[in-house]
Amino acid sequence: MSAVLGFEDVAFAYAGRPALSGVSFAVAPGERVALVGRNGAGKSTLLRLVTGLLHPTSGVVRVGDWDTARRRPDELAHRVGSLFQHADQQLFARTVADDVAFGPRVTGIAAPEVAARVERALESLGLSDVAGEHPYDLPPPWRKLAALAGALALESALLVLDEPTAGLDRRARDRVAAALATRAERGAALLVVTHDLGFAAETLDRALVLERGRLAWDAPIAGLLTDAERLEGLGLVAPPLARLSHALALPGRPVREREVARALAERCRA
Amino acid sequence: MADRVSALVLEGVTYHYPATRTPALADITLTVDRGEVAGVIGNTGAGASTLLLVAGDLVPRVLGGELTGRVTRAGRSALLLPTPWTQASGMAFTVRDEVAFGPANLGWPLERITAAVERSLARVDATHLEARDPATLSGGELQRVILAGILAMQPEILLLDEPTAELDPAGAVAVWGLLRELAAEGTAILVATSDLDALPDAADRILWLAGGRVRAVGSTRDVLSDAALWSEAGPGSTAVAGAWRRAALDAPPPLTVADAVERVR
Repeated sequence: MSAVLGFEDVAFAYAGRPALSGVSFAVAPGERVALVGRNGAGKSTLLRLVTGLLHPTSGVVRVGDWDTARRRPDELAHRVGSLFQHADQQLFARTVADDVAFGPRVTGIAAPEVAARVERALESLGLSDVAGEHPYDLPPPWRKLAALAGALALESALLVLDEPTAGLDRRARDRVAAALATRAERGAALLVVTHDLGFAAETLDRALVLERGRLAWDAPIAGLLTDAERLEGLGLVAPPLARLSHALALPGRPVREREVARALAERCRA
Repeated sequence: MADRVSALVLEGVTYHYPATRTPALADITLTVDRGEVAGVIGNTGAGASTLLLVAGDLVPRVLGGELTGRVTRAGRSALLLPTPWTQASGMAFTVRDEVAFGPANLGWPLERITAAVERSLARVDATHLEARDPATLSGGELQRVILAGILAMQPEILLLDEPTAELDPAGAVAVWGLLRELAAEGTAILVATSDLDALPDAADRILWLAGGRVRAVGSTRDVLSDAALWSEAGPGSTAVAGAWRRAALDAPPPLTVADAVERVR
């Protein structure tokens, strides 16, 4: 199947300060990709290249068969749903429901379908009860959820999300994980910037690691999270369950809670 | 052992935001001693952020609303907001000047400001950013710089709301270590976090808030071992405790990797 997203030898510099260089990768439909790395490594910059808010200094970013440098951000919104790191910057309507409806409405979706999408998106993130509230009356973590609902409502082939779980409590994290899994099962590709490697282990399959603007790793996430030495060199720290799996030499080195629990139960009852 | 010296005391505090009927905080009594790290946990909306605003004297003084009960502070407090991009002064064109903004407003002599800025930038591992324009920093870089600005004021009471939300994993570990160092120097620290995995090593005590009330308060081990944390109103516990519980192994669950390894062997 052809790629939903492709980076071809991409470089980007902010006013002469290089942020990304030589970045190449492709993401297929339904793939769940984590984009991780140190603060300042270029993760958010990479997402802005996907959404067309920035254009590469050299190289090409493709969303499907579109070159993002030749498309406006509002055109790209037909194919890309996005969540900014600071979601306050993408909320502006008077109610949560209006905000979530904005994306699908301006991409030309008919009103009844917009309403259905808004309902589905809010429901999936547990926001139905606050649909009529002003986004700024919500606690900051919920504003992020509201912005995420807006991205989900586009029902696009690609979701690019910057720190979707920052500051969220357990239930909200679980809802985000479930909503993203559902989208991926239906064929949407996920590219998720996150420092929450526990969440990444549970929800995503492949890891891209940026180090000083270059792609330093592109492989399954479980392999990365159980390789303490490599992680340390990349400014990352294995999440607790990956460390436990390694410390107890659990068979298959699982990193997800369900598999770690099963292996623990077997070990303790043996 | 030295006598306990209370730095922050809340007695029967109830707080309503302006034009609201349901209290955001109800009947909160809490003491944070010098040299202590107290963690605040709870679901979104439980009142953790409001508790920090009360502790930091931002409500009702700045944001209005109605507060009953008593808040006593022995020393200067400083608060790191969960939204660092709203906390930059907007009046500095270099990180160095941003970090100097707080100390300068305290009227300190230049030499003292310079020393405080250098030391606090080093402590959050942000010295390499000192010449950068704060507006060009990444989210995590800015969170470090704002924290440096707060530390530069040398508060006796340090209040932190999700201080590691924007940080890379190694940076988060470093900040939790830094809080232990600051506590060892005598700072009283109250920190709200959803990073429950950090708390067994970082916090001496934990306050669990639910619906604006104290649901539990006690040693980190006792509170994080409470099975009720996994109820609908609870924020859960550490990842290791979660996996242990899912495996239906003996309670109380281990909280850390080291605990679990010991229990299994």
